[in-house]
Amino acid sequence: MNSKQKITLKGIPASPGGLVRGKVKIINSLSGIRKLRKGDILVSSFLTPDFLPFMRNISLISGIITDKGCSTCHAAILARELRIPYIAATFYATKTLKNNAEIIMDSDSGIIYET
Amino acid sequence: MKLDGFKKIESIKKLQKYKLPIAQTIFIFDFKKQEKEIDDFLKNKRIVTIRSDKIGSTDFCPLSIGCPRNKAKTLIKKISSKGYAVILQQYVPVRSKASGNILILKKHILVELMGTGALSLMSREGEIEEQIKFRKKDLTEVSHFGKRLIRKRELINILKMVKKMPVYNLIEFTLRNNGLYFWQIKEDKTAGQLEGSQNR
Repeated sequence: MNSKQKITLKGIPASPGGLVRGKVKIINSLSGIRKLRKGDILVSSFLTPDFLPFMRNISLISGIITDKGCSTCHAAILARELRIPYIAATFYATKTLKNNAEIIMDSDSGIIYET
Repeated sequence: MKLDGFKKIESIKKLQKYKLPIAQTIFIFDFKKQEKEIDDFLKNKRIVTIRSDKIGSTDFCPLSIGCPRNKAKTLIKKISSKGYAVILQQYVPVRSKASGNILILKKHILVELMGTGALSLMSREGEIEEQIKFRKKDLTEVSHFGKRLIRKRELINILKMVKKMPVYNLIEFTLRNNGLYFWQIKEDKTAGQLEGSQNR
């Protein structure tokens, strides 16, 4: 990463998968899943059990960032199974990140950068 | 009774094999034959925990974390009639020092904790308050985030009990002022992907 790149948020690398660049899509209800496009980064408060069955269908997304969550929760285990990079426990992702903004997530270190 | 396929029951048996403390527990496979055993268990208990298990079932298994004694037998009978094995346990109040998951990695142990509340709040709802990563060899803390829920010495004593378990085992536990309880051991085949990550 460029050392001048601005760090926006930090979280737990719950599903490490390297550097990912994509557009933020803040989704807080199941109906919002329709808005996701290939390469988007899904940003949500948390992926509750209601979301999990749909995760297999949204594997076209390039990453997931949530306010809550951890490395041992069900959502993280499923993200790793589907090989989707996932940063959990950022606390403020849904408030700090802007819809459609392009970001870079380093899913190995749990750091999110502005582009 | 052959236990093959009863994932939760096998998991509790595994805890016993490793001599880890668990809440008082009986397994019910036949309500009629085990009715006296159930009555004996319920004696002197105001509340019990009822969970269930089914071979090969991926469905939601019925449960009652805090079931009053006078309703317990009816619920057990109902769950049994649907083909489930019943796990009848001593009730452990959710008001605890901390509950959490311990994940055994090759060279590290990852601990994720929450304070008061049912442990499912962390697993299903992502409510985490603390994450600590220890070096497995000497149980030195490598990284930490969140608030300190348990004194380090207490946590290390718990880790000493589980550190020799096979890698990628996930162990659930609750620490209360009056005791330590382990709930289940699960294998997380995806955990290998966390080996190189820099958990904070």
